[in-house]
Amino acid sequence: MIRAALVVGALLLGATAVTAQQDLVKQNQDTMKANAKNLGAMVAMVKGEKPYDQATVTAGLAQLEETAKKLPTMFPDSIKGMNPPDSKYEVSPKIWEDKAEFRAKIEDFAKVVSAAKAKITDLDTLKANAPAIGKACGNCHETFRIKKS
Amino acid sequence: MRRVLLGAAVAIAIGFSIYWLLTEPFILSGGRVALAARTPDLANGKVVFNAGGCASCHAVPGQPDRLKLGGGLAIHSPFGTFYAPNISPDETDGIGRWSEANFVTAVTSGVSPDGQHYFPAFPYTSYAHARIDDVRDLFAYLTTLPKVAGKVRDHDVPFPFNIRRNVGIWKLMFFNARPFTPDSAHSVQWNRGAYLVNSFGHCPECHSPRNFLGGIIAAQRFAGGPNPDGEGWVPNITQKGLSDWNATDIDYFLKTGQTPDGDSAGGSMVAVIKNTSQLPDTDTAAIADYVKSLAPVEGPPKPAKKAAK
Repeated sequence: MIRAALVVGALLLGATAVTAQQDLVKQNQDTMKANAKNLGAMVAMVKGEKPYDQATVTAGLAQLEETAKKLPTMFPDSIKGMNPPDSKYEVSPKIWEDKAEFRAKIEDFAKVVSAAKAKITDLDTLKANAPAIGKACGNCHETFRIKKS
Repeated sequence: MRRVLLGAAVAIAIGFSIYWLLTEPFILSGGRVALAARTPDLANGKVVFNAGGCASCHAVPGQPDRLKLGGGLAIHSPFGTFYAPNISPDETDGIGRWSEANFVTAVTSGVSPDGQHYFPAFPYTSYAHARIDDVRDLFAYLTTLPKVAGKVRDHDVPFPFNIRRNVGIWKLMFFNARPFTPDSAHSVQWNRGAYLVNSFGHCPECHSPRNFLGGIIAAQRFAGGPNPDGEGWVPNITQKGLSDWNATDIDYFLKTGQTPDGDSAGGSMVAVIKNTSQLPDTDTAAIADYVKSLAPVEGPPKPAKKAAK
């Protein structure tokens, strides 16, 4: 009886861990999508498709800064190689194989976002600083993200 | 019996002679090039250098200077691993001793100065459509770049792909060296885009599916496919894949790597953007105009999604 309870308990624990990992993967996907949405709103202003809106820019940069803070712990070993079921992209194993380089890319992204936050006050400064953010995204996606479709 | 043996020997000799003729590099490329004297346009050479993406493969990996063309990058393929050679003007290890004609032949015919076929990992299949003057300007520009010492290791390509003569057969099947001809039904801008995309830009080299011999499947040109250099998928850039992008979006993407929905370029495209972002505005606009005009073509089927573990 005790043994059975232990087995059930262990299974439940295991199942909870898997669910927690899947939640983490889903959260990561949501974070990345939110980054794109916010950066996309700024790009639309740079392209002249939307008028400059300081509130949107401020909120977007705040979320990107939040991401920069989260990134160092977003890909723990427990979710190594795990991907959301409905994504165009997958994680590259290099995230866990080359942690130093991954870390360096994150730090670079954080620096670029802080600099942008300090400088962007109008359309001209947005035009001058927004592309660097996208570039930092790309520099990491170059090695650490795989396009699947 | 003797007659049979003799017959077989003659057949083999004839067969081998045909093979030898068909795979002879200079016959295939129309002989050696003769060039009239000309003053090169270095500024245009730089544009060609960026359009051609030379730095993506030939810049020394793991360092930031795009102009140090010492080579060494490993390029993986289903046929083995190629190592991009040193094309810096170094006399010993690079192309410092090459003549202009050597360079034009290499870039437009895929034949080395010592008369060997290059493997088509070097995209001369696209560069062949370039204007000779653009190639000459590129050569002049390359000679102004820093010399980088160090010979790059040999390619790691297994038999039978390592027999360079066989590339001659491959060329007969898949290599069309016709120079680009403008289409008068379209604007000057569109034609400039078509030229850049199909010659130096060599976009179809990755954005098209290939057959089992590594030849581009012409009917699905630009329709995307499996990444030839590793994992993942190269997107369809015909209107099948890019219908929700307008020409401005494509132009902006080439300048910044930023997609209209705020996403960024990834994988090998990041290196491509490092080149295209250096192009004059008129050239990225021309490429965008042309790419936006590509009729929708269904690409190869994508692999089934792996279930989340």
